Amino acid sequence: MLIQFFRNKCIGCNYCVEVAPERWQMSKRDGKCVLVGGKKKGNMYQIKVGEHERYVNEQAANVCPVNVIRLD
Amino acid sequence: MTDSVEIMAPAGDWASLRAALQAGSDSVYFGVEQLNMRARATNNFTLDDLEEISFLCSEHKTKTYLTLNTVLYDHDLPLMKRIIDRVKETGITAIIASDQSAIMYAHKQGVEVHISTQANISNTEMVEFYSHFADVMVMARELSLNQVENIVNTVKENNITGPSGKLVEIEIFAHGALCMAVSGKCYMSLHTYNSSANRGACKQNCRHAYRVTNDEDEELMIDNEYIMSPKDLCTIDFLDRILATGVKVLKLEGRGRSPEYVKTVTQCYKEAAQSVLDGTYTREKAKAWKTRLEEVYNRGFWNGYYLGQRLGEWSDQHGSVATKQKTFVGKVLHFYPEPEVAHIRIKTKELQLHDPIIIVGDTTGVVETTVESLWVDDQPSEHAGKGVECTIKVPAKVRPGDNLYLWEERD
Repeated sequence: MLIQFFRNKCIGCNYCVEVAPERWQMSKRDGKCVLVGGKKKGNMYQIKVGEHERYVNEQAANVCPVNVIRLD
Repeated sequence: MTDSVEIMAPAGDWASLRAALQAGSDSVYFGVEQLNMRARATNNFTLDDLEEISFLCSEHKTKTYLTLNTVLYDHDLPLMKRIIDRVKETGITAIIASDQSAIMYAHKQGVEVHISTQANISNTEMVEFYSHFADVMVMARELSLNQVENIVNTVKENNITGPSGKLVEIEIFAHGALCMAVSGKCYMSLHTYNSSANRGACKQNCRHAYRVTNDEDEELMIDNEYIMSPKDLCTIDFLDRILATGVKVLKLEGRGRSPEYVKTVTQCYKEAAQSVLDGTYTREKAKAWKTRLEEVYNRGFWNGYYLGQRLGEWSDQHGSVATKQKTFVGKVLHFYPEPEVAHIRIKTKELQLHDPIIIVGDTTGVVETTVESLWVDDQPSEHAGKGVECTIKVPAKVRPGDNLYLWEERD
């Protein structure tokens, strides 16, 4: 499963961290979220993870108020 | 009665900022991407824009206020401090804040602080409390004019001064959207969409129609009213009473609204406030200003809580009831300064002689005019159709990339 994160539009609300703390962390540097292990590609970050992470990251994508998390 | 009044306009993007300046606003307020109540808006300024905003507004002698008024979490604090540091470096006039961490840090750095409505200041002792940190405070939206006047008078009588040593200035909302939440603090969007209004991510779901159903599945229709969606605040027809309270700053809502909204609303309130100060304000004039305000986005008008209404007045439909609407027609390709002629590519529908139009752009702001002369292929013409390039006379400088709209009465 591929997780894509359009970080520039993140508003640092922390909700993704609440539901998937092992994959998402808040940065104190700029107050936005960090996709743990994500690699920058263009204007987004992405990482391939196992299907066992699907459920919590679907929750993270669903609770994101600015829709900057995509799963493929 | 106040002897001077500051008209504070919203600036959600560059075009709105220019429109506010064109309309003569005394100050503008705006947010950067995070930590402001319109963080979810597609257009927001960035920290890198602050220098240019400060420079541009200082040329117009317009004060600049950066909103930093969301709920702040621990992970936000370094960014909050960096924003305030940047405000100081770039000469932005003040921040508008509600969280004590931002208020305290800005105060320590010598950055002017205005207290946001989210702090819900509703009595004199709160004013006294915040006077240790701030010279300007916006009152809770729920106060009546009598209560506002009492606070202004008490500030004078008790000599409540801010960090500058001057009497604390009292600011109130004069125009624009109100929500049903106390001083804008609302959890409805968070409850239903996990999208916190208090983090700047309001989905505005209060603006929809709802049905009330009880446990027996009995349903109450609310007579076609949008019971969670108040009409927009409009105070222009009692602005003399507003200024009689001694308030110093009038805030206009609408960072999410269009540049022509910002220009019209700012112009109307600027003119009206000046006429109150000059002693030339009349009911007839107020009626004319209100008619102009009805032209741009609004959900219908009411007086807010200022005149002591017991109940709110609810919007009876979704979206705007503005009497005018804009329709995209085409784009500016070039501007010839000497003859003041714009070269336009028509993209969507026909443009005709005598059409009322507005041209909107980031640097242009809003130029409103009527098509007095129209040329196609170097020949005078009555109209220019879709796909055609034409030239028209315009009264002010416009720029390549600006959008041209028809500006007509709504059907």
